[in-house]
Amino acid sequence: MGYALTVIVFICVNIVAATGLSLLTGFTGLFSLGHAGFMAIGGYTSAIMAMHLGIPYVPAVILGGAAAVIISVVIGYPSIKNRLRGDYFAICMLGFVEIVRLVISNITHPWVNGSLGLTGIPKLTNVWTALIICIIMVFFMRNFIKSHYGQNCKAIQQQDVAAEMMGISIVKTRLISLMISAFYCGVAGSVMTFYTAFISPLSFQAPQSQNLVADVVIGGVNSITGPIIAAAILTALPEMLRFLISWRYVIYGLLLVVLIIFRPEGIMGYKEFSIGGFIGFFKKTYRVAVRLFKKLFGKNSKTADKKGGKV
Amino acid sequence: MVKLLQQIITGISIGGIYALLAVGYALIFSIFQFTNFAFGGILMGSAFAGYFATTTLGMDAIPATFVAVCAGVILSILVELTAYRPLRKRSSSRLFLMISAMGVNILLVNLATVTFGGNIRSLPADMRMDAIKLGSVQMGVLDLIALIGSAVILIALWGYLYKSRQGIAIRAVANDTNTARLMGINVNKVSLTVFVISGILTGMAGMFFGLKYTVYPTMGIISNKAFIASVIGGLGSLPGAVLGGLILGVLETLIAGFVSSVYRDLFSFGIMIIVLMFMPNGLLGKSNDKL
Repeated sequence: MGYALTVIVFICVNIVAATGLSLLTGFTGLFSLGHAGFMAIGGYTSAIMAMHLGIPYVPAVILGGAAAVIISVVIGYPSIKNRLRGDYFAICMLGFVEIVRLVISNITHPWVNGSLGLTGIPKLTNVWTALIICIIMVFFMRNFIKSHYGQNCKAIQQQDVAAEMMGISIVKTRLISLMISAFYCGVAGSVMTFYTAFISPLSFQAPQSQNLVADVVIGGVNSITGPIIAAAILTALPEMLRFLISWRYVIYGLLLVVLIIFRPEGIMGYKEFSIGGFIGFFKKTYRVAVRLFKKLFGKNSKTADKKGGKV
Repeated sequence: MVKLLQQIITGISIGGIYALLAVGYALIFSIFQFTNFAFGGILMGSAFAGYFATTTLGMDAIPATFVAVCAGVILSILVELTAYRPLRKRSSSRLFLMISAMGVNILLVNLATVTFGGNIRSLPADMRMDAIKLGSVQMGVLDLIALIGSAVILIALWGYLYKSRQGIAIRAVANDTNTARLMGINVNKVSLTVFVISGILTGMAGMFFGLKYTVYPTMGIISNKAFIASVIGGLGSLPGAVLGGLILGVLETLIAGFVSSVYRDLFSFGIMIIVLMFMPNGLLGKSNDKL
């Protein structure tokens, strides 16, 4: 049971981080390979706050997110102002996450403890707090996307020149979406750190960032529910494949390639998951199934009749 | 002074290998405009091929390098045919190509871990050979061979790209894929050629890295240096990639020799970010002029 709860907490953490990244990658169109760096910053900040400054859980988590926002402005403002996009921005963020990891590994102050990492962090997150935080964050993101700012982000992703002509400030909008996504990742890192009660620079290597990107792209750009479903599946998948022991990551990589080749628009594509849509989908499949069944049944009966007639 | 000269010479020989990798990376970037993350996996695969050729089959360094290059080419073609071509056929976004490449990398690295184990292996010691003395400075024979090998390969590549018909076709595709297709160039054939060349370069680099350092499943991380080198030189520019590789190699050895080897990687990533922010087109890259 404890094992299942741990998986649920990790799913919540990854959903929060993937929702944040989906704003930046999916809706604003900036591809980042370094969001695990923001998770690391959030995790370390909140752990130090809770251990040495005695700050309670919720403020510590929010401060973790705030620290990630500050760093995101430091790295993001010059790169966004210089119109880095596509692979340039992605590689810039890849460099950022490596720098964060190396800097943390080389600070030997006992509050940070270098590459050995921090142990004995109070275990403040449980399944319920993780779930509540996850739901609140997703709700806020939904509102943001529906707001004026969210529509600006979408406009920039679709046609940046046209959006600028309409009076949308590209630098400002991109920076806002980077800051919000950094906040989400910082919060995710904090929640995770308070659950595992341990943090080290090794937990935030390149694969962690790549998994987040995979969540967003497989879930479907321009969709919030898609990345959520994808984050849940991709977090649970290696756990479900655990009986395969060391082969599971081989299969994970293979599934990633197969999924992207056969369903490149992602699980949800440009659609959102909704109860109405879900019911509609079932009605549709039901109707198709009935028609198919009738056809098959009719054919079968006909052939049976023919056979009967011949005999 | 002697130490400085020594560091620069070592740096140039490492920079030569970085240049090989960076050119393989830049070639693919210039044509398809996407970051080939499977690069690290292919590098690792060819290094393992070289390792098994020397230890299990008992080959010498030169035939083993040939085996490594063959492995690099085969892996590169397989990746292109299975993971990239179906996506390009549908002209899907470059984002998907990147994700596909990431999937291939995860697949290759973990396949190697499962089948060969995660141990660090080193090639037989006699292959590392001795050092030659040039006055007060010395240079490893291996470094010298790596440098000469890289230079020969890069010059041959330059000749191929700029003097042969196929080379002109490759450059045309890099410049404008659709127009090149309208002019009757077989883009699929060109892309296969490009992946073969990239496989050769990666295989060579993998063998040299294996000889110089060690062979292990996650050694593909070194290919990050290729990204950095080609960013410094200008993404998608081949002369830029060579220059970037050499600069990165020399700067890295200087930092490791005079400051601390701990800050070597920090420094290289830092320099990459600074170049990206203030000179996004790198040293030799122009925004619309490729190759």
